[in-house]
Amino acid sequence: MKKIILLTTVVVFAAMLQNCEDFLEKAPLDTISTDSELNETDAVALINAAYQPLQWAKLYNMRIWTTDIVAGNSYVGADGASDGVETTDLANFTASSSNAAALDIWRGPNPGILRCNIVLSKIPEISMDEALKQRLLGEAYFLRAHYYFILVRIFGDVPLTTQPLVAGDNLARPRNPKSEVYDLIIDDCKKAIEMLPVKASYGASDLGRACREAAMAQLAKVYLTLGTNYQEVVSLCENIEGLGYDLSKMDYAANFNAKIDNGPESLFEVQYSGSTVYDFWGNDNQACWLSTFMGPRNSGWVGGSYGWQHVTQEFVDAYEDGDLRKDVTILYKGCPQFDDKEYDPSWSLTGYNVRKYLVPKSISKEMNTNPANIVVYRFADVLLMKAEALNELGETARAQVPLNIVRARAGLPAITTTNKEEMKEIIVHERRMELAFEGHRWFDLIRIDNGDYAVKFFKSIGKMNVTKERLLYPIPQDEIDDNPAITQNPGY
Amino acid sequence: MKCLINVPLKRLLTILAAVLFLLLSPRAQAQTMTVGGIVCDKDHAVIPGVSVFDKDNPDNLTTSGLDGTYTITVLPGARLEFSYMGFRTQLVEVAGRAGIDVIMEEDSFLLEEMVVIGYGTIRKSDLTGSVARVGSDVLSDKPVTSFGQALQGRAAGVYIVDNGNPQENVSIKIRGLGTINDSNPLYVIDGAPMSMGLNSINMLDIESIDILKDASATAIYGSRGANGVVLITTKKGKQGDGKISVKANVGVSQATDMPQMLNAAQYAELSNEMLSAGGVTPNPAWADPASLGEGTNWIDAMFNPALSQIYSLSYSGGGDKNNYYVSGSYSDIDGIVKSVGYKRLTLQVNGTHRVKPWIEFGHNISFSYDKKTSGTYSLNDVFRSLPTQPIFEEDGKYAGPEGNSYWVGNIRNQYGTAETDKNLTQGYNLLGTLYAEASIFKGLKFKSLGSVEAKFAYNTNFIPAYKWKPIEVAESSLYKGTGRYFSYLWDNYFTYDRTFGKHSINAMAGASLQWGSEDYFNGTKDEFLKDEVNQLKNATNILSFTGSGSEWALASFMFRANYSYADKYYATVTVREDASSRFGANNRWGTFPSFSLAWRLSNESWFNRHGFVSDLKLRAGYGITGNQNIGNYTFASTFNTGLYVFNGKTVSTLVAHKMPNPNVHWEEVKQFNIGVDLGFLENRLRLSVDAYDKDTDDMLVAMAVPVSSGYSDIDVPSINAGKVNNKGIEVTLSADIFSRKDFNWTSDFNITFNKNKIVSLNSDTPMYYGSVEMLGNTRVNMEGYPIGSFFGNVMGGIFQNQAEVDNWAVQVTGGTAPGDIKFLDLNSDGVIDDYDRTIIGNPNPDFFFSWNNRLTYKNFDLELFLQGVCGNEVYNANRIYLEGMSVAFNQYTTVLNRWTGEGTSNDMPRTVYGDPNKNLRSSNRFVEDGSYLRIKNLSLGYTLPKGFRVYLSCQNLFTLTKYSGFDPEVGIDGYDLGNYPVTRTISLGLDITF
Repeated sequence: MKKIILLTTVVVFAAMLQNCEDFLEKAPLDTISTDSELNETDAVALINAAYQPLQWAKLYNMRIWTTDIVAGNSYVGADGASDGVETTDLANFTASSSNAAALDIWRGPNPGILRCNIVLSKIPEISMDEALKQRLLGEAYFLRAHYYFILVRIFGDVPLTTQPLVAGDNLARPRNPKSEVYDLIIDDCKKAIEMLPVKASYGASDLGRACREAAMAQLAKVYLTLGTNYQEVVSLCENIEGLGYDLSKMDYAANFNAKIDNGPESLFEVQYSGSTVYDFWGNDNQACWLSTFMGPRNSGWVGGSYGWQHVTQEFVDAYEDGDLRKDVTILYKGCPQFDDKEYDPSWSLTGYNVRKYLVPKSISKEMNTNPANIVVYRFADVLLMKAEALNELGETARAQVPLNIVRARAGLPAITTTNKEEMKEIIVHERRMELAFEGHRWFDLIRIDNGDYAVKFFKSIGKMNVTKERLLYPIPQDEIDDNPAITQNPGY
Repeated sequence: MKCLINVPLKRLLTILAAVLFLLLSPRAQAQTMTVGGIVCDKDHAVIPGVSVFDKDNPDNLTTSGLDGTYTITVLPGARLEFSYMGFRTQLVEVAGRAGIDVIMEEDSFLLEEMVVIGYGTIRKSDLTGSVARVGSDVLSDKPVTSFGQALQGRAAGVYIVDNGNPQENVSIKIRGLGTINDSNPLYVIDGAPMSMGLNSINMLDIESIDILKDASATAIYGSRGANGVVLITTKKGKQGDGKISVKANVGVSQATDMPQMLNAAQYAELSNEMLSAGGVTPNPAWADPASLGEGTNWIDAMFNPALSQIYSLSYSGGGDKNNYYVSGSYSDIDGIVKSVGYKRLTLQVNGTHRVKPWIEFGHNISFSYDKKTSGTYSLNDVFRSLPTQPIFEEDGKYAGPEGNSYWVGNIRNQYGTAETDKNLTQGYNLLGTLYAEASIFKGLKFKSLGSVEAKFAYNTNFIPAYKWKPIEVAESSLYKGTGRYFSYLWDNYFTYDRTFGKHSINAMAGASLQWGSEDYFNGTKDEFLKDEVNQLKNATNILSFTGSGSEWALASFMFRANYSYADKYYATVTVREDASSRFGANNRWGTFPSFSLAWRLSNESWFNRHGFVSDLKLRAGYGITGNQNIGNYTFASTFNTGLYVFNGKTVSTLVAHKMPNPNVHWEEVKQFNIGVDLGFLENRLRLSVDAYDKDTDDMLVAMAVPVSSGYSDIDVPSINAGKVNNKGIEVTLSADIFSRKDFNWTSDFNITFNKNKIVSLNSDTPMYYGSVEMLGNTRVNMEGYPIGSFFGNVMGGIFQNQAEVDNWAVQVTGGTAPGDIKFLDLNSDGVIDDYDRTIIGNPNPDFFFSWNNRLTYKNFDLELFLQGVCGNEVYNANRIYLEGMSVAFNQYTTVLNRWTGEGTSNDMPRTVYGDPNKNLRSSNRFVEDGSYLRIKNLSLGYTLPKGFRVYLSCQNLFTLTKYSGFDPEVGIDGYDLGNYPVTRTISLGLDITF
């Protein structure tokens, strides 16, 4: 008996040991091996992933709209302590290479570019519906251009990567000249224009994907930034107009209405659902942060109410009398009630808060439930780009037409000047008021006159630390630490 | 004493009669007399077979019987010596007494003691490596629930930091931090590796804890041995009559110290000064600060003395073939912070059964249930709450800040959420081990051991809606989460233990398989019809729902041989082969060998054991161990799933997130140890000294993945490239200072010196971490410095006037003014920036020590246990906020000495809203000396006849420290930010054994 028991034990155990290589073969249960074969569903999921970084606080949920603070439209506010100190440092032009906001806006586009590169390298090999494949590749080109366009404007020269890096590749990549980056952006935008369908052709479940007119608006903005091809800007804008866009039929406030997704004026939006399934602070968050952050502190008006963006007196003073956008854009003493409540100017150090993105509790009851989308490109921007390009081409009188469409909607009188320089200033001002707090101001300031305009403006509002070099953010210290091939921007 | 009850009545009467007879007899006639009594251990179990002999007449001897009784006829002035293996020999003067009961004290230093070494035991005298043993005596009579707390200071080389929160576990590190990654030791209970918290074991069920420290001891656990191994052995029933034991301990806890905060008048004055300095209008309501008076003391409101209760019952016993030990316990520990509670039930069922002459079966089953309750609170916010705000409104509702946040702050009412929110964690832990050990032929045995460990945790957080400022919560919500962990283990091994003349061999060879899995899911719903009915099904809206799981497996072969010759020369060899699912196929198997030698000089014929030195043994060993706590799937190359949304409709995404490293494998530790064990004066004084040099190679360090690659630069693959070194010396000294009839004094002292250094990180770039909000990092791992060093600027005083500001390096352009902190320009470039940061502190102590004294006088016993650490720094991050004086947070009273004009202060800066000079940047301003010396335990007991014992036991009675926060014991990382303080507990205990 003794021997039988012993023998049985040893034999059973030995048999188990024999199979231990199987026993030890454990693969993750909640992820998919990169070696597995991909199908059409996977292809769509891969392109969907390329949109995701847009949602992050590293881009549109925070670091894009906070460029308006850097641009001098507002102060951080918040809790008055260390909250937002990184943005204040940028706004005061005292940021160092370890600035957290610079790191964020570096960490946003780069993963987006990788995801686009994975789509562009993997999807061509997948056997799937050809039309869908073309569209997915178009989306990837649009997004890659979008991410690089953010990087090149914020940081200048950046490493250019058009293939996904894999284990074993040299990850230390030097910066490519800005011109090469713009070449890729222009090329990608052109491909996207070719491959993407127009917005109207998307069904309800795909509305919000990159569309042809978004790619056109993006390319127009790229040319405007480079200041090289104004004629092309005009024709791209006209092509968009030709698709049936008519600003007089579009409501300004609707662009910021949490209940309206991908509305008539919008060409491209970052999409949110307000779902609380994932952590509000994490990369899978599906709620828009803007209302939560901009709600006046201690007002209890909106979920969160962290009190960011105390609008400067200088910005408020810039409004022309009768500008209908003022009551939509900011909160001031005696302004129309919000959600049946009276504004208390002592909630802000300046007496003003941003109103544009506030979402009443009837729509978003908690800090992490806001379903509002963030508009990236909209038609009013296209009209103003057209006006600017025409003015730059010397056609100042023609430039009045698109400009006055925008002004008419804002309840403002038509501009009649034919003086190019005067017109230029008027358009810059109009862009500031029309697109206030939407993350355009910084990019406008630094592109006009190759940065001279920005330096002059910042000095005029008392930001004497500004230098032309400081119009680029520092390459984040984390990148420098991990990438021996990269160099820092001058002035940091 | 208690064992009297166990003695047959007849015997008792006989003894009583003898005593009476002797007492009543005329003393002149007494030439010889009969002395009798009972010998038992300190748990009052009788001990049969104790030798009793007349010291003056060695031929006159006897032994105690099965019932522990003895009788011997001696002269009235004789001295009786009682001796038994494993117990301290006692010499008792008869002094004419006829009834002498003797309590034998177990001697943990006797050379015959067995120690547990993993897959077997060995005589302590045969050890060649470094193993510390802690017996059940240090685990009894303590007002704590976790053996980890009781273990603190009890063994050299074992660094333990307590956690005041009864819901949390202590941290234990053996021989320094061996890695920047998981440096926790492996815990093994009754042969089965354990992953559950130390709190889940009732420490009164523990017989002994053996701590394997050097590689020659830990290598038998191979890829899990690198950070040391803690072997826990639970109690067994002892042969003899059954024993019932009831223990109760009731205590009161409070914080060891309380920080002093500003009152309302002081705060209002500060606020006015702060806002004026920052160009912000002060609160008009506070124009006369003195009128605000004391205001609210939030700390007083949130901290209260707390009651702790620990009860246990056990019964045990055994015969020739079977023994049993069964116990149950109930603990109810309230936290000193409002709403914090911890309740625990444990059950332990142990037994061994010799079912056939050749086979023994045994089982050890531990079950525990714990319930952790609390409201929602943050100690940071408790400190920061303004004294100007009441707790309650006049109508009895919770008050909240209303108005401008820069006047009244915006901190939620912590008292309110502590009361209304109901957070509950329930843990169910089961660890069951079953074994069979068969004798095959003389000396050769085969043991098969199977065990299962199952852990379930249920979290329930009910957050009711509330309407008070500053952030209202509109809907009540309920979070329910559950996590499950399950593992099984099957060990099979042969042991061979034989002595041939002067040659002794003790060998073990076998194999082990272990498999583990865990998973979790959790969800949150809101929109309840009413708060009183608040199960998940009662809510209409799903806020979140998620879950995942993972698996791992380990297959191993292990071998060990101990050889000794004539109890003079010893050699040990161990090898373990581990294969882990956590390593990719390229690196699946690892080999972990060790060798060690020892020489007992005192057994050489030329050695005089009766001189000053009575015992002398030299030991030396070397071995390689591994650390496989690197995550379950670090080698895998995968896409994660995620989500995006189009036009309100959620879609799936497939994300390349983390750069893979298919070649990742275990961390390897090479350790060299030499030691000497010395006994002096017939071993009344015992000294052990060990020195070690421990090199961690192939430490997993983060691969440098630049953000520009597109992969995460945070969630990066690990590569085996780092190196850490720990060097140390451990000294343990024990002495029987007094050993008299009525008075005994034993003393144990140990001290450990350890020096920790990062040798290489495979990169010139230090790893910065521990960011406080956006103020920058406070910690660094840097080559040449200890793990977790503090990092920041260096303060050089306060600017007293504008001239000093103008002549100093530029700190913040336009932001610096008199009263701000001067930071040193370490790189002398005229600008104070990140490049002027340096190492400003080390959280690892230079040495830590303890000194225990145990005195017994008649039936009284006294324990005085001193424990301390020296040379470590604490980063008191609380002060960033509580001495920041730049925002609407309440402050420590230390800010009353702030700079208010030239010459007023050179260490506490001015107050200014918004901190324009960044006085709050990480700097040595917040780094403090963390050394302390404390009376860790003082207990006084009195043992009554019939097995009753009462005692008073005080934990953390008194602390000497320069640290300014609650308590210097803030965690292994030495970082204090709203940490739950360690508490002082004064308790009364009662033990009844019969």
